[in-house]
Amino acid sequence: MIDLPPEAWDALRLSLRVSTVATLLSLPLALWVAHVLARGRFRGRGLLDAVVHLPLVLPPVVTGYALLLLFSRTGPVGALLEPLGLGLAFRWTGAALAAAVMGFPLMVRAIRLAIEAVDPKLEEAAATLGASPARVWVTVTLPLIAPGILAGMTLGFAKAFGEFGATITFVASIPGETRTLPSAIYAFLQVPGADAPLRGLVLIAVAVAIGAVLVSNWLAPRVAARVAGR
Amino acid sequence: MARPIRFDLTRRAVLGAGAALFAGPGRAQVAPLSVFAAASLKPALDEIATDWDGPVALSYGGSGTVARQVASGAPADLVVLAATDWMDWLGGQGALAGSVQAVAGNRLVLAGPPGAAALTLTGAGIAARLGPAGRFAMGDPISVPAGRYGQQALETLGLWSDLRRRAILAENVRAALAYVARGDVDLGLVYRSDVRGTGAVEVAAVPTNTHQPIIYPAAIVRGASPQAGAFLAHLRAATPVFVRHGFDPVPAA
Repeated sequence: MIDLPPEAWDALRLSLRVSTVATLLSLPLALWVAHVLARGRFRGRGLLDAVVHLPLVLPPVVTGYALLLLFSRTGPVGALLEPLGLGLAFRWTGAALAAAVMGFPLMVRAIRLAIEAVDPKLEEAAATLGASPARVWVTVTLPLIAPGILAGMTLGFAKAFGEFGATITFVASIPGETRTLPSAIYAFLQVPGADAPLRGLVLIAVAVAIGAVLVSNWLAPRVAARVAGR
Repeated sequence: MARPIRFDLTRRAVLGAGAALFAGPGRAQVAPLSVFAAASLKPALDEIATDWDGPVALSYGGSGTVARQVASGAPADLVVLAATDWMDWLGGQGALAGSVQAVAGNRLVLAGPPGAAALTLTGAGIAARLGPAGRFAMGDPISVPAGRYGQQALETLGLWSDLRRRAILAENVRAALAYVARGDVDLGLVYRSDVRGTGAVEVAAVPTNTHQPIIYPAAIVRGASPQAGAFLAHLRAATPVFVRHGFDPVPAA
């Protein structure tokens, strides 16, 4: 069994909470943006696409710095939230926001590809049989894109779990509050003779990352098969 | 006829740019002396290196990062850190060629955002400045030397148990200072030498007897160039420069 100091387990627990919250919060918006990008025909679609991809191509430190400028108590959004006790900077909720922002482009990409692969004739057929747009989406579109949603959530979760640069810039590294697993690994790298906990943390990080991909690979064909009605 | 010429010019420009990118630096007459040092030393060491007759290549990072690089065989002649524990670790790795010598000291201060007024270093004074929900920034005591000294000082002053929950722990002491300089937090526990030129201001001095002495140790790396010893002597003689940059002379043992 991996022998880890308690602060390492704290970091793992926090990372799981942050990544889960980030993934669940991103999902509705990611679904909507993926739909707009896959099917929308409007001015500024290219711009929206570029903005969605920004966290993927910017240095993570820049994303974290931008979040800090927006959400710190001197920033435009933070100045409104902090007095209400809803501030995000230096709190675990801010870590979840940073993780969500970083995972968002991956989630949108996977869902968007799934939507683009849906045969519109299936939806049209349902509509001609009298189904409302909402019912068409729930009974036809959603089952068809479910594997893509799953893949997107897995990728988003894995990215959120491994996020470091934006997180440490935006919320620092406070034990039990904002010290996620990658931040803990970074902290232990700066401690002489801490190689044993370091190895344990690295093993956990690798295991979670590989585990997420394996789970996704195991689920995807089963979801696809259920959708196909086999 | 104009087009082939233009194409030719373009091609030459591209090839020229490529050649410029991949050409190494011109071969120097003397191989520069390579110094790996803790990031907080940068302003002082940059100046001290210009007083040295010969090229010096300075590489900066956190003490832990620098120590690991040197132990992994980074091409360093001399290493200067902000913490004795990492220097002891380097010695234990067999990476050092000579004895470890202190080159400078430092002290902790409480810093505030630009224009902040001085305060008295008591629980009441700090609480008044932070308000009911305010927080302060410091280096992470686990991994940042300044954070460890800072925790010792607050423990000695009897403030740590009250303040620890309000601490925002940064990955290095300069990140903590940046939060203060931008006004994200009202107070930061940082080195005096770091405060200069950032816009942040010193609002209280931390008594040096509240924590272990802050010492910057230097040592020659195994397999270093013969000039490394002379440069170490040059560093030890540069106390006025260190003091001008806000460092202390080496504390008397």
